Order: sequence, then structure tokens, then C-alpha cells
Amino acid sequence: MQSSQYSVKIYETQIDNEVTFMTFFDANYTLFKDHLIVIQGKMSDKIKSYLDKKSLKYLHNIALPKGRTRKALEEELEFAKIDSAVSQQIAEDKLARLSTQLQNNLTVLDDMIRSGRELNIQGDLLLLNRINSGATVTTSGNLIITKVVEGAIRCHGNFMMLTASPKANIIFHGVEVDNKLLEDRLNRVELKNNEIIITPVLKKEINWA
Amino acid sequence: MGIVIAVISGKGGVGKTTASANLGLGIAQNDKTCVLVDFDIGQRNLDMILGLENRVVYDMVQVMEEEASVKQALIKSKVSDNLSFLAASQSKDKSILNSEKVEKLINHLRDEFDFVILDAPAGIESGYEHTIEFADAAIVIVNPEVSSIRDADRAIGILDSKSNKVKNGEEVAKYLIINRIVATMVQSGEMLRSEDILEILNIKLLGKVPEDRGVIDASNQGKPVILDKKSIAGQAYTRISGRLCGEKVEMKDIEISDAGLFKKLTGMFK
Repeated sequence: MQSSQYSVKIYETQIDNEVTFMTFFDANYTLFKDHLIVIQGKMSDKIKSYLDKKSLKYLHNIALPKGRTRKALEEELEFAKIDSAVSQQIAEDKLARLSTQLQNNLTVLDDMIRSGRELNIQGDLLLLNRINSGATVTTSGNLIITKVVEGAIRCHGNFMMLTASPKANIIFHGVEVDNKLLEDRLNRVELKNNEIIITPVLKKEINWA
Repeated sequence: MGIVIAVISGKGGVGKTTASANLGLGIAQNDKTCVLVDFDIGQRNLDMILGLENRVVYDMVQVMEEEASVKQALIKSKVSDNLSFLAASQSKDKSILNSEKVEKLINHLRDEFDFVILDAPAGIESGYEHTIEFADAAIVIVNPEVSSIRDADRAIGILDSKSNKVKNGEEVAKYLIINRIVATMVQSGEMLRSEDILEILNIKLLGKVPEDRGVIDASNQGKPVILDKKSIAGQAYTRISGRLCGEKVEMKDIEISDAGLFKKLTGMFK
């Protein structure tokens, strides 16, 4: 698979008055011609043909990803907790069931994963050795690696734990993880509310599941 | 019964054939019998490096096809009676090899010699797989640079999954020779340090060979560099051959440059 990533500027707006919208874009055309325009709410064919004519790139009614801090996220979780103690309980039960299930599927390996090897693991993997450059390890469950990774890892579990690996190619749920964010100790990479959170783990508080 | 050692590297041009020739002579100098087999079918080189190109009458493929006996095809080295050589075919290609014939040939050689050294072709195709298939041990040659390390890592991976010994639940012994080390470049960080290479490949270190301008001339002349007692690479191969024959030879740290050593010595007298 070949893929590219782009950083683009996005202009997001709602159309209340079509005439105002068009005069605004006529006046500021040079500013917006390289932007991706996102229109939320209603959008008529007239506006569509206007944007096509101006060869502006646009999208209609999409949710844009927004960066949030860990703190804001935790506050949100806190609110959610207060909001619904019941759903929280259900979620916890689900997680508990999941973790027992994952425990049963744990594979422990002390192999060195050499270049060219492609390892596919159903369930969790605890790997006590290196992954060398040119090797790929894929897990459907959680992944814990205690030594440095120089190859590629693909994890589809709830979390990953790994040490600083500047040469690694890390993909967690289809998203590439920036390895600069990994500190020089065990890091916990997890998915919370569709966002990837990386937390360095202190030695005394390693929580394996 | 002798031991069969495959000399492998994955990447080409790191010095497999040179190392094979030198180790063969080194083993012979240690009073053991040794046969060098060139497995690089279609690209035979070892005969030239040993200075035996005009003696080749029969090659390995002809032996396997039973057009000639092993005895007829073996060529004695000019330098040592302990060393024999079996040439690769220059006209055929790798697809001519098959497991049964290779096994038969290797078992025959194993019975006659103390050491059977197989010079593997570069790459990881069928020719390489046949070389490692019946080997008891492997010597991995690398240069201190990343591409060589990765290719060696891949070659070791294939060795660990496709060799006959591994299929029978045993382990193939693997040893590392780091070739063409330039002390000053290691110290300035341009070349990988041995410790880093060993950490990546995780196999036993057999020896380190410094870069030596004499090696090319020695190969061109057909007189392996181990015969030149003054050459630093030759001395390194002598130490490595000693280790292969069971002697305890100290690992010499060739990564400390001579300039550094000179400074240390002059420092002592101040």
C-alpha cells in the first residue's frame, strides 16, 4: 500500500446567506484558493456550482478531528462519569471481561525477531527481545515489548507498551505513532475516545493490563 | 568426522570469498585438513583468490552429476598439502543444485576432511539455501555498516528456519567476523561499533579484521593475505583460524587506532 500524508489549511463555515457567502469568497479568493473548505449545515446546488467554477476544494458536513490535551480529556471523562454512573459500570464490566479474555490469549516470546520475519499474533504478545530492522510484528491484541524496536509493529489491541525506539515504524490501530513521543523508558500507548494517548510509565507503577 | 561450516553474509562484496580462502589456509596451517567448496555456481571466484584457476579441470556440478569423482575434482593448494579446493561451475547456474546431491557431496567431504568450508553466494536465493542446508555451523561476515548488518540479519533468519539441523530440532552454531574495520572511522562514529553490531545480530564474535590495502593485491596475485606475516588483516585471520581450531586466542581490540596507541605509549614515557 502506498500512502501520503498532507497538512492542509481548512476553512470551516456555515452558510446563512448565500449572497454574503459568495461576495466574501469573491473578495478573499486569493486567501482561500489553497484552503480546504468545509461547509457545515445546508448547502445548495448554487453554492456547489459556484465553488466548482472557482475550482475551490470543499467538503460537506464532516466532523473534523480536533486536538485536545490530556487534561481536557480527563475532565471530559470525569463529566461522563458523573453523567452516567450506570454506563460507566457497564463499560467497566466490559473491560474486565476483555482483560480476562486477553490474558488467556497471551503469547510470551523470547525470540529475536530478525530482518524479514513477519510475525502475526492472534491475541496478546509479550516480547522479551529485539525486533530488528526489516521485521514486522502484527498483533490483534495488546503488545508489550521490553527491548528496542528497529522494525515495524502493527498493534490492534487496547494498548501497547514499548521503550524509546527512534528507528521503529509503529502503527497503532492504523495510525502512525510519532516515535519522538516515546520516552526512554516503558511507554504506554493506548486508545481513549478515538485518540491515541502516550503515557510514560514509571518503574514503580507498571500496570500490565 | 569433520565439521561443515558455511561462510555467509547476505550482502555481496563484504569479503566472504576472501575470508573463506584465508580461513582455509589458516586451518591448514594449524595442521588440520580442510576443503574449500565454492558454492557460488555461475560466478566462481575462489579459484582465482587461491591462485588455482589454471588447475581447475572438474567442478562441483560435474561431481554431483557423477561425470567425475570427488577425488578427480579436488585440487590441492600450492601452499599447503592440508588444503584442498573444489571449484564451482562457471557455465551452469544455481538452479542445477538439488538437496539430495548436495547432501551426498557434503557427507562425502565430511568423512574425508576435518573442516569443510562452504563459500556461499551472495543473496538469499536457492543457491544460498543449498549452502546452509547441511551446514553444522555458519560464519557470518559483515562490514561495519547498516546495510550489511540488515542483510546478515536476514541471512541468519533464513539459516535458523531452513537449515536441516534446525529442522531436526538442533541448533546451528553461528559466529561473526566483522571485516574491514577502520579504527579511526569507528572512533569518529562513522562506522558501527562491534558492540552495537553484536547487540543487533546476537551471535558469538569470532574475530575482527581490520581494513588492509594488501588484501586486494593478495587476491589479485592469488596469494591470500594470511600468507603475508606483516599484514594486519593476515594476522587477524591467523588469530581467527587459531580460534576455529580450538586454541584460546585473545580478542585483539583493533578498534583502538594505532595513533591512539602511539599517544598512549609516548604518554607513558613523559
